[in-house]
Amino acid sequence: MEARDSSSSSSAAANREGPSAAEDEAVLSVAAALAKDAALHFQSGKFAECVDVLNQLLLKKPDDPKVLHNIAITEYFRDGCSDPKRLLDVLNNVKKQSEEIARASGEQVEAGGSLASKTVSGSKSSTLAHPLSSASSANIMYMDEFDTCVATVNIAVIWFHLHEYVKALSVLEPLYQNIGPIDETTALHICLLLLDAGLACHDAPKSADVLIYLEKAFGVSCTSQSDNGSSVAQQPANLVGKSSSLPSSSLATDASNTELVSNNASEKGLSRTLSEETLDYDPVLFDIDVTRPTGLSLSNDILRNSVDRSISSVDLKLKLHLYRVRFLLLTRNLKQAKREVKHAMNIARGRDSPMALLLKSQLEYARGNHRKAIKLLMASSNRTDTGILSMFHNNLGCIYYQLGKYHTSSVFFSKALNNCSSLRKDKPLKLSTFSQDNSLLIVYNCGMQYLACGKPFLAARCFQKAGLIFYNRPLLWLRLAECCLMALETGILKSNLAQDRSEIRISVIGKGKWRQLVFEDGILRNGNVDLERGDLVLGSDGEPKLSLPLARQCLHNALFLLNGSELSYLKSIFPSNSSVDENDTTDIASSKNLNHKNLQNIDLKASTVAVSLGQINANGDAKEQKGGTTQELVQNSLTSYEDTCKRENMLIKQALLANLAYIELELGNPIKAHLNARALCELPECSRVYLFLGHIFAAEALCLLNREKEAIEHLSIYLSEGNVELPFSQEDCERGQVDRTGDCEELNGGQASAKNSYSQDVEGIVFLKPEEAHAALYVNFASLYAMQGEFELAHQFVSQALSLTPNSPEANLTAVYINLMHGKPQEALAKLKQCSRIRFLSSGLTSNISS
Amino acid sequence: MSEKNMSTKNNNNNNSSKKKTKKKMTLSADESVKLFNLLRAADQRPFLEIVSDFESSFPALSFSQFVVSFSLSTLLQDKKMLNPAQRLVGFAILHQAYNNKSSANSNNPFLPLFITGACNEEAERYERAFILQLLSSDSSPSPNSKEQFLKQSASHYIKSFDPSLSLHVFPKREQLEQQYGVKAHVEPFNCPFKDASLLNALPDPDLPHCSDPNSSEFDLQHGAKPKLGSGDRDETLIGLLSSLSLEGFGPPWARPIPPQLPVQDGELVWLNPGDNHELLWDYSMCVDTSRGTVVRDLIAKALKGPLAPSQQEQVLLELANDPKLVYHCGLTPRKLPELVENNPLIAVEVLTKLINSPEIADYFTVLVNMDMSLHSMEVVNRLTTAVELPSEFIRMYITNCISSCENIKDKYMQNRLVRLVCVFLQSLIRNNIINVKDLFIEVQAFCIEFSRIREAAALFRLLKSLE
Repeated sequence: MEARDSSSSSSAAANREGPSAAEDEAVLSVAAALAKDAALHFQSGKFAECVDVLNQLLLKKPDDPKVLHNIAITEYFRDGCSDPKRLLDVLNNVKKQSEEIARASGEQVEAGGSLASKTVSGSKSSTLAHPLSSASSANIMYMDEFDTCVATVNIAVIWFHLHEYVKALSVLEPLYQNIGPIDETTALHICLLLLDAGLACHDAPKSADVLIYLEKAFGVSCTSQSDNGSSVAQQPANLVGKSSSLPSSSLATDASNTELVSNNASEKGLSRTLSEETLDYDPVLFDIDVTRPTGLSLSNDILRNSVDRSISSVDLKLKLHLYRVRFLLLTRNLKQAKREVKHAMNIARGRDSPMALLLKSQLEYARGNHRKAIKLLMASSNRTDTGILSMFHNNLGCIYYQLGKYHTSSVFFSKALNNCSSLRKDKPLKLSTFSQDNSLLIVYNCGMQYLACGKPFLAARCFQKAGLIFYNRPLLWLRLAECCLMALETGILKSNLAQDRSEIRISVIGKGKWRQLVFEDGILRNGNVDLERGDLVLGSDGEPKLSLPLARQCLHNALFLLNGSELSYLKSIFPSNSSVDENDTTDIASSKNLNHKNLQNIDLKASTVAVSLGQINANGDAKEQKGGTTQELVQNSLTSYEDTCKRENMLIKQALLANLAYIELELGNPIKAHLNARALCELPECSRVYLFLGHIFAAEALCLLNREKEAIEHLSIYLSEGNVELPFSQEDCERGQVDRTGDCEELNGGQASAKNSYSQDVEGIVFLKPEEAHAALYVNFASLYAMQGEFELAHQFVSQALSLTPNSPEANLTAVYINLMHGKPQEALAKLKQCSRIRFLSSGLTSNISS
Repeated sequence: MSEKNMSTKNNNNNNSSKKKTKKKMTLSADESVKLFNLLRAADQRPFLEIVSDFESSFPALSFSQFVVSFSLSTLLQDKKMLNPAQRLVGFAILHQAYNNKSSANSNNPFLPLFITGACNEEAERYERAFILQLLSSDSSPSPNSKEQFLKQSASHYIKSFDPSLSLHVFPKREQLEQQYGVKAHVEPFNCPFKDASLLNALPDPDLPHCSDPNSSEFDLQHGAKPKLGSGDRDETLIGLLSSLSLEGFGPPWARPIPPQLPVQDGELVWLNPGDNHELLWDYSMCVDTSRGTVVRDLIAKALKGPLAPSQQEQVLLELANDPKLVYHCGLTPRKLPELVENNPLIAVEVLTKLINSPEIADYFTVLVNMDMSLHSMEVVNRLTTAVELPSEFIRMYITNCISSCENIKDKYMQNRLVRLVCVFLQSLIRNNIINVKDLFIEVQAFCIEFSRIREAAALFRLLKSLE
C-alpha cells in the first residue's frame, strides 16, 4: 500500500521498507479473509461463530473500531437482542474512539505533509508520520478506516426502534447533510430511516426534503400517473441505452477537445481554435447536452448494481410510492394521496403489501369514509403477526372513535394494548419488537377515548404514559389540562359539593321563626379552589393528581411548545421556499421573518438542495415534467400543510388561552386571567366561540381588578341598540376543527360527496348552546349593572336572561341577588322558591351542640 | 367503576391536604361549636376568661380568627340572633382580640361596628354603655382598673347596670368617629364583586300567617310539643356560624367552563407497519481501502500538468464507475485552479459530480476568484450546460471576466482575453444559460469599449438582435 503513495520520498521509503510493507500486506490479506468469513456468518445468522471469527480478527487488528463495532452488533444478536440501551452505549463508545483515532491521524497527516513538503529524507519522516502501520498512508485522504457512518446509522436505528424519533433524526441529520461520499446502500438506509423518523414525528419539511433527494439521487421517479406498468418496463431499456451511449460520447468530447487542452497553445493555434470555436462550440455543447443525462443514468446503474443486493428497484419504487402516500397523508393532501395509493397498488400487484392496504384504509379514514376504511382494514390478510394485529386493532379503534362509538373503540384499543403486551413476551426478541410495541402510542388514543367518555383520571393516566413519547406535542399538554378541568367540572376536584352547576344549592338553617336560607359558598364560582403545592403531577401513590395548578402548568408547557414550534416551523419551511425562486425569497422571507438572512447562511445544505431543485425546474421540458411533478407536488403539499398547521396551532392556542384565563380566574388571579383573556381576544382569526370566552373572562377579571368600565367595554361588543347579540352561532361550534377539505381539495375542484360525509361525522365543540351563551351575557350585564346600583337596567337584563333560559341557576340567582340588593327580600325569597332547579339542604350541624 | 373509586379516593386526599393549605372562608364545624360554647357561657363566666379562651382557641392574627370574628360581627348585626349577655360577650371578644398592646382602637377592623353599636338609639342602654367602656378602656391611665369591668360575667354586668347613672352620657356619632379616626380607616382596595356582596344568609321565617315574628310564642318550649313556626335559636345559631361566609353572596357571574378541543385531524395515532430497519453490518471492516489510489495518483499528477489522453480517459472512466470516488480523489477547493488550468475536462467532470455536495459552494468561490483564462472559461461554459449553476455565480463570473479584460495592461493579452470572453458570452446567451436582461448594460458597455475587436462587435449584434 505504501508503495502506491504518490510522493517520491515515501515511495523511496516504501522501497527501503519493503519487508515490513510485505508483512503488512500479509496481515491485511489474512484480516480481509477473516472479515469476509465473519460477514458470511453474520448473513447466515450464525452469530456465535461470527463472534469467534471477529475475536480472531481483533487479535490481528487490536482496537480496530470497525471490528469492535461488528462485534457489538453480533453479540447483540447472539444475546437475543435483549438490551438495546447497552448496545447504544457500546456503539457510542466505538464512534467516539473512531473519531479520536481519526483526529489523531489527521494531525499526523498534517505533520507528515509538512515534512514531505520540505523533502527531508524520506524514510524517517514517513515512518514517523505513519506509526500506525496498518492504517497505511494510503488512507490519509481516504478516511474510510475511521468512517463512523455505519455506527451512526446503527445508533439511529436503535433510537428509532425505541420510538425516540427526534433523537434518531438528530443523529442522522449530520450524515444526511454530507451524504455524498457515503456508499449507496448505506445512503439509502439513511434516507429511508430519516423518512420513517421524520414522518413519525410529523416533520413534513424534513420528509419532503428526503423524498425529493431520494428521487433525485436514486433516480426512482414516481411521476407518470397514467402508465405505471409500462414505465417500469421501460426503465431498464432506457438505462441500457443511456449507459451504452456513455463511452462513445465521452470519447467524442475528448477528441474534439484535445486541441483545447493542448499544452502550449500558440497564438496561431489559439486564434484558430477561437475562430473555429464560434462554430464549434455548439456541436461540442450539443455533444455535452447529449451526454448530460448519462450522469444521471449512471448513478442509476450503479444504484442498481449496489442496491440490488438488498432491494430490487421495483421494490424500492413501491416503497417510495408508499412513502409518498404517507407524506401526502401527513400533509393532508388527500386527493393526491388517493392517486398515489392507486399507483402503489398497481405496482404492488401480486405482491403482499399490507402497508399499501393499511395506507388505503388510512386514506379513507382521513377522508371520513369510515365504513370503507373498516372494510379495507378487514381485508388485510395478515393477522397472524401480533405486531400487525395490534396496529389493526388500534386503527379500528380510531375509526370507531371517529364514529362516536367510544365504547367499541375502547374495546379495540385495549385489544391493541393486549397485543402489544403479548408481543413483549414473545421470544426470541428482535430489535423490531421494541418498535412494534406501540403501546405508548396506543395509550394516547386510549386517553382520548377516556376523555370522550368523561373519565378524567383514567385519561390523565394514559396521557401521562404517552407523555414519554409525546412530551413535545402541545396537544398532549392541552389534553392533560382538559382532564383537570373535567375533574373540576364534574365536581371531583372540589371536596365540597357545591360545584354541581346545574342547580342552585341552598342550605336551610334552623326552623320556624329562626329559619335562615344560606347560599352556599362556592356557588359564586369566584371562590378560590384549593391551592395545592408540591409535586404537581403525581400523588404519593403515583397516580396523576389532577388539580388546577397542574392544569395551569400543562397549559404553560403547551404554549411554550407551540410558540417554539411556530418559530422552528418558519425555519424549516424557509429553505424549501428558497428553491422556488431565489429572487422572491428575500421578499417573502423578509416579510415573514426578519431572521431570514441568518437562516440562509446557516443551512448550506438547504441552499444546495434549493439549487438542485431549481435545476430540475429549469432544465428542459421533459425533465421539468419528470422532476417537476414530484417537486411541485411535494412543495404544494408542504405549503398547504404549513397553512393547515398554522390554523391548527391557532386553534390550539385559542383553546390554551381560554383554558388558562379560566383557570387563573378559578385560582383567583385576575391579573393573569386578564392577560390571557386579552391575548385570546387579540388573536387574529379567533373563532367566535373562543372570542366569546375571551371577552367574558376578560370582563370578569377586570371587574375583579376594579376596572368595571373596561369590563363593560368587553361585554359591550355584543351590545347593539340596547340588545345583546348572539355571541356565536351553531355553525361556529361545529367549526372545531381545521377544515378537513383544506386547500388541496379545493384547488382540485373539491369533492362534494366527501364533504357531505365529513359533516355528518364532524364532532364540533361541545359547549354552551348559542342561546345559553346569550343568556350568560345577559346575566353578566345584569350583575355589572347591579354592582353599579343601576337596578332598573339590571332587572331588564336579568329578565331577558330568564326568558332565554328560565331554568338557568345563574339567571335565577342573579334575579334573587338583584332583588336583595334592591332591598326587596320578599321578592327575592319568592323568586328563589319559584326556581325549579334548586335544592334545599338541611344543615348537618344541628346535633352535638353540647360538646 | 374504578373511575368512581379513584375519584372518591382522590377526594379524601384532597380533604386531608386541604386543611393545611386552603384558606377557608367559613368556619369548620369544630370551630363553630367552640365559638358557640364560648357564647353560651356568657351567663356564668367573666368576660376576661371567655376572651382568653377565645384567644387560645383561635390564635391571634390567624386567618381563622378573622373568620370567627367576622361571623361574630355578622351575628351581632342581627339584633335577635344573640341574647343580651351573648351580645356583650361578642363585643368583648371582638374588642379584646384585636386590641393588643401594640395596636390601638384605630386598628381594630370592627371599629365601625362598635361605633354603630354605641350610637344605636334603639339598642339597650347597657349595651351602648358597655361598648363605650370598651372603647375608652385603652386610653384609661391605669391598666389594672381598665379591665376591672371585664372581670364580671355578662349577666352580672347587665344586672348591676344602673341606667340612671349620669355617668352614661352617649356621645354623638361624629364625635366618636373623630375620636377614633374611623374615616382614615378605609379599606385600601376592593373589587366590585366584594363591595357588592351581600350577607349570604337570608332570614326566611317559617311562620303561620299574620303572626308576630318577634313574639316569644314560637320559641321552643322545653317538653312541649313543637308547633308550626317554632324553632330553636341555638340550633340556628350554630348552623349560621358554620355557614356564614366571609365572602358573602356576591353578584353571580356566568363563567362558562371552556369546551374541550375536538379531536384534531391526525391527533389519534394511526399505526402503519414501518420499514424494518435492521442493524447494519459494517462491510468496510478490514476492507482494502486502497480503491481509488490510481485515480488519486492521477489527479495529483493532473494538478501539475496535462495528463496524457489515455490517462485522462482512465480518470474519467474510474470516476464514472464509482460515483463516490470523486469524494476520495484527493481534490480540495484550494487545488482546483491547478486542475482547471492543466486538465479542464477532468475539472468539469469532478465538479459535475460534486454538484450535490455541500463543498460545491467552496469550489465555486475558488472558480470565480481564480485568474481568467481560456481553461477556466471552458470549465464554466461546460458546467453551465452540464448542471444548473447558481445564477449568482454565473453573474459574478461574467463580471469578473469583464473587469479582467478591462484591467489587463498587455494589449496583446487583452485582445486575446476579450475575444475569449465574447465567445464565452455568446455561447452562454445562445444556450439560454443567462438572461441577457440581467447583464445587458454591463455587457453592452463591454462591447462598446472593445468594439475594435471583431468578436465584441459580433456579440453586440447578437445583443441587439435579442432586444
